[in-house]
Amino acid sequence: MATIAKPRARPPEEAPRRPNIPSANIQLPAVRDYEQVDNEITATLHPTVTWFAGLGIAILCMLIGASAWTYQIYWGLGQAGYEPPVMWGVYIITFVFWIGIGHAGTLISAILYLFRAGFRTTIYRVSEAMTVFAVMTAGLFPIIHIGRPWKFFWLIPYPNWRLIWPQFKSPLVWDVFAISTYLTISTTFLYIGLIPDIAVLRDRETNPVRKRILSTLSLGWRNSDREWRHFARAYLFLAAFSTPLVLSVHSVVSFDFAMAVTPGWHTTIFPPYFVAGAIFSGFAMVWTIIIPLRRWWGLKHYVTLNHLDASAKMVLFTSLVVGSAYLSEFFIAWYSGLRSEQEYFWNRIFGQWWWAGWSLLICNMVFPQTLWSQRLRRNTTWLFILSIIINIGMWMERFTIVVPSLSHEFEPWQWGGYRPSWVDMSFLVGSFGWFFMWFLLFIKQLPVIAIAEVKEIIPPKLRATHPHEDNIDHAGRHLEYEPDTPGEYA
Amino acid sequence: MSTDPKSPGVKRRDFLKILGAGSAVTATVGCSTDHVEKLIPYVVHPDQTVPGASTYYATTCRECASACGVIAETREGRVIKLEGNPAHPLNRGALCARGQAALQGLYNPDRFRGPMVRRTAGGPLTLISWDEATRLFTQRVGELRANGQAANAVFINQHEQGSFPAFLDQWLAGYGIPAHLSYDADAPLSTIAANRQTYGAAWPTLDFSAARLVVSFGADFLDTWGPVVPQQLAWADARAKLDGAPRMIYIGPRRSLTGLNADQWIACRPGSELAIANALRGNAGATIEQAAQAADVPLATLQQLAREFSAVRPSLVLAGTTGPDATELALAVNALNQAAGNVGMSIRPDESVRAYDRLSTPAELRQVAARMQAGGVSLLMVRGANPAFTLPKALGFAQAMARVPFKVSFSSYPDETTELCDLVLPDHHALESWGDAEPVPGTLSMQQPGMDPVFLTRATADVLIAAAKGDAGQAARYPQPDYRTWLISRFPGGQQAFTAAITTGVSRGSVPAAPAPAVAARAPAPARTMAGGIQSTQGDYFLVVYPSAVLGTGAGANKPWLQELPDPVSKICWQSWVEIHPTTARRLGVESGDHLKVETSAGSITAPAYLYLGVRPDTVAVALGRGHRSASGRGGTAERRADGPLHLTGYGRYADGVGVDPLDLIPGFEDPRSGAIALTVTKARVTKTGDHSPLVTTEGSARQHGRGIAQALTVTQLGTLQQATGAEQAGSLAPGGTGGVHGGQTPGGSAPAGAPGETPGGAGGPGAQGETAHEGGPDAGGEHSFPSGVPLPFQPGLRSPVAADAQGDFAEADSKDKGMYDIRHWSGMAKRRWAMTIDLARCTGCSACVTACYAENNLPTVGAPWQGRALGPATPNAGPWDTRPGANIIKGREMNWIRLERYYEGADRADVEFDPNFEARFAPMLCQHCGNAPCESVCPVYATYHSPDGLNVQVYNRCVGTRYCSNNCPYKVRYFNWFGFGEPARRQYAFPEPLNWQLNPDVTVRGKGVMEKCTFCVQRIREAESRADLEHRPVRADEFTVACAQACPSRAIVFGDAADAAWTVSRLAMDRRAYHVFEELNTYTAVVYLKKVNHPAPAAGAAPAGA
Repeated sequence: MATIAKPRARPPEEAPRRPNIPSANIQLPAVRDYEQVDNEITATLHPTVTWFAGLGIAILCMLIGASAWTYQIYWGLGQAGYEPPVMWGVYIITFVFWIGIGHAGTLISAILYLFRAGFRTTIYRVSEAMTVFAVMTAGLFPIIHIGRPWKFFWLIPYPNWRLIWPQFKSPLVWDVFAISTYLTISTTFLYIGLIPDIAVLRDRETNPVRKRILSTLSLGWRNSDREWRHFARAYLFLAAFSTPLVLSVHSVVSFDFAMAVTPGWHTTIFPPYFVAGAIFSGFAMVWTIIIPLRRWWGLKHYVTLNHLDASAKMVLFTSLVVGSAYLSEFFIAWYSGLRSEQEYFWNRIFGQWWWAGWSLLICNMVFPQTLWSQRLRRNTTWLFILSIIINIGMWMERFTIVVPSLSHEFEPWQWGGYRPSWVDMSFLVGSFGWFFMWFLLFIKQLPVIAIAEVKEIIPPKLRATHPHEDNIDHAGRHLEYEPDTPGEYA
Repeated sequence: MSTDPKSPGVKRRDFLKILGAGSAVTATVGCSTDHVEKLIPYVVHPDQTVPGASTYYATTCRECASACGVIAETREGRVIKLEGNPAHPLNRGALCARGQAALQGLYNPDRFRGPMVRRTAGGPLTLISWDEATRLFTQRVGELRANGQAANAVFINQHEQGSFPAFLDQWLAGYGIPAHLSYDADAPLSTIAANRQTYGAAWPTLDFSAARLVVSFGADFLDTWGPVVPQQLAWADARAKLDGAPRMIYIGPRRSLTGLNADQWIACRPGSELAIANALRGNAGATIEQAAQAADVPLATLQQLAREFSAVRPSLVLAGTTGPDATELALAVNALNQAAGNVGMSIRPDESVRAYDRLSTPAELRQVAARMQAGGVSLLMVRGANPAFTLPKALGFAQAMARVPFKVSFSSYPDETTELCDLVLPDHHALESWGDAEPVPGTLSMQQPGMDPVFLTRATADVLIAAAKGDAGQAARYPQPDYRTWLISRFPGGQQAFTAAITTGVSRGSVPAAPAPAVAARAPAPARTMAGGIQSTQGDYFLVVYPSAVLGTGAGANKPWLQELPDPVSKICWQSWVEIHPTTARRLGVESGDHLKVETSAGSITAPAYLYLGVRPDTVAVALGRGHRSASGRGGTAERRADGPLHLTGYGRYADGVGVDPLDLIPGFEDPRSGAIALTVTKARVTKTGDHSPLVTTEGSARQHGRGIAQALTVTQLGTLQQATGAEQAGSLAPGGTGGVHGGQTPGGSAPAGAPGETPGGAGGPGAQGETAHEGGPDAGGEHSFPSGVPLPFQPGLRSPVAADAQGDFAEADSKDKGMYDIRHWSGMAKRRWAMTIDLARCTGCSACVTACYAENNLPTVGAPWQGRALGPATPNAGPWDTRPGANIIKGREMNWIRLERYYEGADRADVEFDPNFEARFAPMLCQHCGNAPCESVCPVYATYHSPDGLNVQVYNRCVGTRYCSNNCPYKVRYFNWFGFGEPARRQYAFPEPLNWQLNPDVTVRGKGVMEKCTFCVQRIREAESRADLEHRPVRADEFTVACAQACPSRAIVFGDAADAAWTVSRLAMDRRAYHVFEELNTYTAVVYLKKVNHPAPAAGAAPAGA
């Protein structure tokens, strides 16, 4: 799927394949055997000074957000920058942003799994963990943004004596279902996939307490055929179960807007547009995370340029989808003949919010076009920069959807502006702190590259001479290696 | 524990001990609260007080000189709301914003708690007892008389009508003190002087209905010029005639609220009005050409004006300028009226308003200031008036006061004059006092207390009587124990008649004439005037200073309702602004909000620029009313807690540091004929300072962008509309349809005369009833039914007579699809559809409805300097909080459930060229109570839902504050509690003690984090229903109304049950001019607007037309 040239050596057709092996046409030529996989990946679990520093920064950011929340609860939402009629602001923008981030994770781990896309293997765990933590982050914002957060449970349909139920017509109630379902399923999926890896950790663990915990978490995994069979079934089932969720959850989130009568929101294009945008932004976030990780951990031979190249194509594709959605919005606004709709889009591009409108078009449509170039697709520096640009662009996309629409509605007398306050921005910082706090804690406890799945795609035993065997030293450690030629199977 | 070692457990006695001790501990620890509230029932009922039931007292409004009748609603001994008295001849049930806000004078947190004295010169005022204060006063006045200094004493009283001025003069005369000066800073003195000269009456009644053409030379009869409420009623009634309504032409350099209500604006140069008036008179010193030259308007415009004026009879010409020649202009205009035969037709001197009898002039005050300066005044007594603020600073009244050895203030509030006084004997508020007034000849308006005094204040009249009793030489003159007894003794018919009169608030009779002052009438003041019209040496721009339509000359500045009420023209609140034309702004390189420094020979002010289409490019305009500051120079924007200490200086916490005072710019010249201060007298230099501050405005866009919110048509279009709709309706309605006669469109004025409880007149009633009978009219049993099988015709006005329509099938009883709201709801509510019509032909944009809503629904004001948000964890210099006045409103967070939108039509290229031909449309916007409400379906917790009687209900307790409802509301009429405006412990608390006494106990005070909006005064609906239930009868048509409709001085708002043909609203909803805002969104609103009707010039339309 992702490579251009045919691999020079491929496993023989008759080789036995495990049921959950994806059609692995991306090989890991520099990974020689299972033990190397175990060694190299579990080596990433040792805390380092840099990691502590990063965790400290993340916790600090999280505390900034937490203090802002305390402050806001005490004084009221007025401390945020809301300017009616812009009743939703940074919180909802950031909510949609994080939900979107979450989606690519499930796409990579579940949908690409079903499609047997080999390039997912080494990045899926990072993505899935990212999903869980992103949804955990996103889930906070609907609570943060409401006026009386201590009453948020009223949105949950719990049985009560007064027989008061939520309004099931409200997209916000759908959100509650969608997000909680999504969080449950993606957490389960992450956990199920982790079981064989936890077993590996358990086997290597010497600390009795940790060993005990890992034994419990691994559910007594013993690597038997039966277990593998059940594991594969469960994994497949959850992948199949997650797949519609990817499409439905972000569709439901888009209903928050599409179900309203507000110009700029009231449109049927939102569900596919949001899903595509989510995948787009999620891949960018995966890059933001994995590109530094593979460098710091020296795991470039696991997450190879071929992987990144393949995901770059995905990003380019979703960028085109999102771009078409943007352009269709303008067309539909013009075609609708609705003055409120037309003026809103005019305002978005040439009016009050031109900077938001253009920044999203440039970040999300123009910059990704560089990915037509194979050289740039394989340039990790560029990919990293691009991932930041896309993240900003996608945040701006949500900004452009939420704020300009509300500020420029039907009633001209109530047209207004919006300027986030320091409280809003503290929450934005806090959300990154919260996300990275969990993520950093996760990567030092459990492997972020799936040990078991990597083992599945390397041949059990090399039949042919490894073309780069000289790059592996006597201790089995891998030396600097980057496949320079696109599609090079070396 | 147990004493018996064999016993396995706890013995019974021990158990009980433990239980007892445990319970006691639990009870003490667990159940104590810091704040124990006592709930004590009345053992002995106070008279007329039923807990939870309102008592109403008819009294008289004293907020301006007009003396409108008000009804004070009290609950448990506290006044909670003021409403117009329907029986009163002047205001006929209506009440303006300033009248509503009298309540905030009563409960003003800055009021004096009791009498105060300044023990040492320059020292602070300290509280003393009334005994001591009265003794001090008696002693001072006694000494004065003994020394023969009495003739040097001066008493300045806030101008008021009734017996008190006579009483006062009598009292003063007893001591040998000259008669008091009756000062009213708001009174249009020049017009009054001219009227006295021409008609012998200060203020003839203006009958707009009798006129076909109204020409106003700067006479702002809808904002500040004269008794506004009766004039507004008359104007609205006249305009409601539609076909026969008068066309209005406004002549002046700035379009005021009245100007915006005009059909045409002739933007003349300031000071040139007289030339135009003279030109209209023919050979009276100016030809049309000369007038056009002087006024800088096209000759054709004036020629057309002259043609129209001579052709249309009867007309009505008014003059209300404030220049040095204002009286001359008013005289010229009176002559015009006489020549045109308007006197007796549209101007009725025989039915005068007595508001301005016995008025003193600023010229007399200037004389007093001169005498004070010269040390010729030994005692100064001031009651209510605030000359230190309302006279131009150039006259030096405040400085002169320093030369007076003893100054006594009877003011109830701190103000600039009281701040300089030595003894403060705070008067009762008008709502705590007895009194009377004679608003029109032969009718008395009674004033009685609505409640016990809030603070230790004492009525001035009682203080004076007490002082006289304490003086051996005077005691005999006052046999009465107090002023009330004195009043009754003079009342025609005595005690019994008095008691009967106070129940209705009005009575036939006259205030007995004042006894002749002991001292000869004051000699007329020598005028201080300047030759050559407007002083042209000072700058390039004419300066127009005008009284604010909301705050007048500043008396309302310490009332948060009035500070928060956006100016009807500029929509700015909590701020002063300089109006300049957009072309001028371009020339100066100024954007909206950039600070402009306006300088004259007298002084300078700096305020943000407001770009206004309705001001001449060579003119800048500034409103009076703000810029209060203490003499000590304190004030500014220093942070102050809402529950902070008393403000004994300046004008109080809400006025402090808010805006600038344009009187600083006024050199203090007078109109020589009337003694009025000439406000439009000088030119000014205008420079940009480089600073910028956002305008505290509630306006988003001033243009409708074709959204059809405020729609209008011309009289000519009106005729075709009538025919078209009439034919259509006649076709669609088989029985009973009377064709073209819709909704009482008889020429006599369609809207109801408006008093609550008054059944609408018969005009149009039968026809409308015939049409709507088969939709929801009362059947024989008095109940409503919705017969099946009869498809409802498309109603031009209210598309959804019952809430059920939008939800289920269109009110078909047989349908299985009842939707959410079955018309056969067990509550019986679904038979009603509460609805409202707003007649834009009547609405003048005065905004009284807005303040009425604040009063009725406990709306918090959010603009005070301490109510802003935190700017950041640490903002250098400014501190952490945003203390700009109106900081919340800059962020659009005002809480006005009903707001007045003012949209411009025409003059689209105003930023490049001056175009006086634009139209302003006013549209009150409130919750539309949609039958198919977008807000309802998106609320995740059912905090907003539909009641079976068509109300869109908001349950504050259930609201979690997602604000989705507001996002989905096309009308943007939902307001969110960003802070704890209703929580006393919060910095942003909107009702500091005792302002919280004004709160309506029928309405919740909302906490932070919940959404709120117009409820259609659901508490009034339920109260009326309960009352009807208790009396075993159905709710009568037009039995009650909502607060905004009740107050509306234009009678533009009508509320009622649209599903019942007996209600006026159901008739008006069928009007040919009816439309819904954003009808295309299928919201099925319950608020029906009736299109404004424009009257373009008879020749090819110069005024913009169109819908």
